[in-house]
Amino acid sequence: MPHSFLVIDDSKLHHQMYRLIFSRGKLAGSTVHFASNGREGYGMLVAHPELKLVLLDLNMPEMNGLELLERRRAEALHPHIPIVLVTTESSAEDEARGRSAGAWEYLRKPFQPADVEGLVARALERSAPAA
Amino acid sequence: MPVEEAQRRTALLGFADAMDVRADIDTTMAPGPELHLLTFSLDREEFGIPVTQVREVIRVADITRVPQAPAHVRGVANLRGRILAVVELRSRLGLAAAELTPRSRVIVVEVRERVLGLLVDAVSQVTKVPEASVAPAPEEVLSMDADYVTGVARWQSRLIILLDLEKALLPTE
Amino acid sequence: MTGENPFGELLQEYVVECLPLAEQVADAFVELERRWRDGDPADEGLAALPGPLHTIKGNSAMMGLAPMREVAHALEDACGLVARHPERRGDAAAALLVAGGELLVDLVRQASTEMDPSPATQFVERVRHWETAHPIPLAETQPERRRTDRRGAAERVSAGKADSVVRVDFRRLDALLEVLGEGLIQHSALAEAYRGFVRRTGACDELDQLDQAVVALEKTLKRLESTLMETRLLPLATAFGRFPRMVRDTAEATGKRVRLVQTGMETPLDKAVLDRLSEPLLHLVSNAIVHGMEPVDARRRAGKPDEGTVRLDAAPQAGRVVIRVSDDGRGLDEQAIRKKAEALGQELRPDDVVPLRSLIFLPGLSTAERVSTLAGRGVGLDVVANAIHALGGTIDVETAAGKGTTFILSLPVTLAIVRSLIVEVDQERFAVPLAHVAETVRAEPEAIREINHRGVTQWRGGLIHVADGGALLGTGGGQASRRFYVVMAAGPKRRALLVDRLVGHQDVVVKGLDPALGRPDVVSGTTILGDGRVACIVDAVRILEGGRRAG
Repeated sequence: MPHSFLVIDDSKLHHQMYRLIFSRGKLAGSTVHFASNGREGYGMLVAHPELKLVLLDLNMPEMNGLELLERRRAEALHPHIPIVLVTTESSAEDEARGRSAGAWEYLRKPFQPADVEGLVARALERSAPAA
Repeated sequence: MPVEEAQRRTALLGFADAMDVRADIDTTMAPGPELHLLTFSLDREEFGIPVTQVREVIRVADITRVPQAPAHVRGVANLRGRILAVVELRSRLGLAAAELTPRSRVIVVEVRERVLGLLVDAVSQVTKVPEASVAPAPEEVLSMDADYVTGVARWQSRLIILLDLEKALLPTE
Repeated sequence: MTGENPFGELLQEYVVECLPLAEQVADAFVELERRWRDGDPADEGLAALPGPLHTIKGNSAMMGLAPMREVAHALEDACGLVARHPERRGDAAAALLVAGGELLVDLVRQASTEMDPSPATQFVERVRHWETAHPIPLAETQPERRRTDRRGAAERVSAGKADSVVRVDFRRLDALLEVLGEGLIQHSALAEAYRGFVRRTGACDELDQLDQAVVALEKTLKRLESTLMETRLLPLATAFGRFPRMVRDTAEATGKRVRLVQTGMETPLDKAVLDRLSEPLLHLVSNAIVHGMEPVDARRRAGKPDEGTVRLDAAPQAGRVVIRVSDDGRGLDEQAIRKKAEALGQELRPDDVVPLRSLIFLPGLSTAERVSTLAGRGVGLDVVANAIHALGGTIDVETAAGKGTTFILSLPVTLAIVRSLIVEVDQERFAVPLAHVAETVRAEPEAIREINHRGVTQWRGGLIHVADGGALLGTGGGQASRRFYVVMAAGPKRRALLVDRLVGHQDVVVKGLDPALGRPDVVSGTTILGDGRVACIVDAVRILEGGRRAG
């Protein structure tokens, strides 16, 4: 059964990259949804409770990653869905803030397909017992 | 007919006889690989081009002359909305000009991604010819520049001159 | 680079996303420099920069493109520094940023897996050197990385990112237009067959429905055509984005102070026209700075502001686009031009009021003795005029000594479909673009014989040359059948073309000339008429420019 994922990033290039990553190797056959900003992404999150993982870019116009996390926490939306915050660099302070807002993990750019595969594997492991 | 033509014809027939002898010797061999050709005639001689280069054969409709075009380009025609340049193969091969007849046809070919029309006297049929029946054309057989003749096929009492369309059509530009 | 980047195949997408961002950043730096020179700290301009730089940095890192990543990172740091230390905003900082912006654009444009790292490394060195020129207090050496509030930024520079836009290969649009063109041709054939049928059988009620259907189909096809044509339309800004930087560089190289004002850059033009427009316009703007603009001291003496202004104003006007390139410089020296024109052999009869406009575009005419490489590599205005005419456009000039010069260009919005006059010469049909037809005149056989004998004819108070259509277009017929002459126009030139019949007006889809046809210089393309026959399109511009004479 193919798994579903959500990518929220304002870069079209990154959409393409994720598409590549999710079409090869272990992740081939996945269903991936794409959103271009926080608002759009939030709407998709609401609509897809079956998502196994969300990859969320930090810096976006119209609701950035941190704001999305905070809204999700405030509205207690799908708390079972792990959300990974994707950033170019971050200090320990940033990371702490992200996690306290509800980010399950951090992914730093530049990343490799293997990094995403690893995150997916861990996310699936995490959700399996709860099913 | 002019002297050169007569000489050419004699040489051609002599060559044909030589090929006949060879064909007799070779009847015991298996057919082997074949060339799939579209054959057409110009000036009572038969030519062949690979079927893979042929897109379609159309009747000669209006060909619009284009000012200052090279001599062997007859003009352009409307191929279902696409502009097709039509090459007068006769003049390109150094043969004398001739009138259009009801049997004249334009062969639409594709060579190296270029689509062109070849104006010919008549088109016969698609023929399968064993590769073994092809021999390189001797220099004296053809008065024209032999560069675009890849060989001559002797098959079932027909003599088919094989043309390399790339060399015949494209280097002229 | 160690190992192959997993996203290597996305190199084109990388350029598509990052090049517009890099260009906007580079433009913003030029703008900052100008404002800082005016004493304006330009805070909000600075605030808009980290976003796109951050994106370029992240994208470049993902793609394994180290040079771009490093330059973007260094520029981010530099921007951060001047944001926190307004006292460092000045010429040195500006020069650094502008250079960095240019470098970033070049790097992104030439993105590939094998890149020379040295330009980037050198630039980063330069930035470090500049940063440490005035040591910053220790407490502030940690640059800010968090930008959680981007909504405060005035300008959203990140226009290249995902929105409701689709990127389509231009060739697909051309292919679509070709198919539509075929549809239009087929419709013409249908309409003609229908009319023929009605003529033979007479009108009747059932045919009314058919008539409506034919008309409706044409309306729909035309609507489809104009919608499709719109997709080919790009704003002028696409081609003129680099002008501000070019003006800055040219002004600096010639020791002048010039600013560029652009209006109407959102005006749309067909990509094909735009592509061919940038170079002539570049020459005009460059000329304005190099030749038109006086140095600062001369301007002061003339009571003008130190900084000269070059304007690029564009506006749509009844199916065309009018672009004005003007400067407030010294204006054109009319006497010098006339003298030069006479020296070049241009006959100027004393009672001839030859307008400046027809002289200035003559080949070999340049009022500056020194032809510099900056002024379009010594390209004269005649080359510019030819390029504009080739687009079916017109170019005119207005000038006032000491005040400035304005070039006025009028361009068709699109190229691919051309309203034409269909003429017949010796039973062959040709299309003459209406943009190049000044008038059609019926002439009696005696008058035409007379015309032929002299090679010129009277027209609107002047004499123009005459060419026999048959001789010019090689139709081979005699001239006894000529009944009309078509006065062709390109720029200021006029020539009458003798033809047998005027068949009518038609919108023709321009199709190119197959390379097999060689390079004719009397026809510029082909088209398919309503009856399905192919007609050549007369190249009025070439014929008039080349001064071909026949008949």
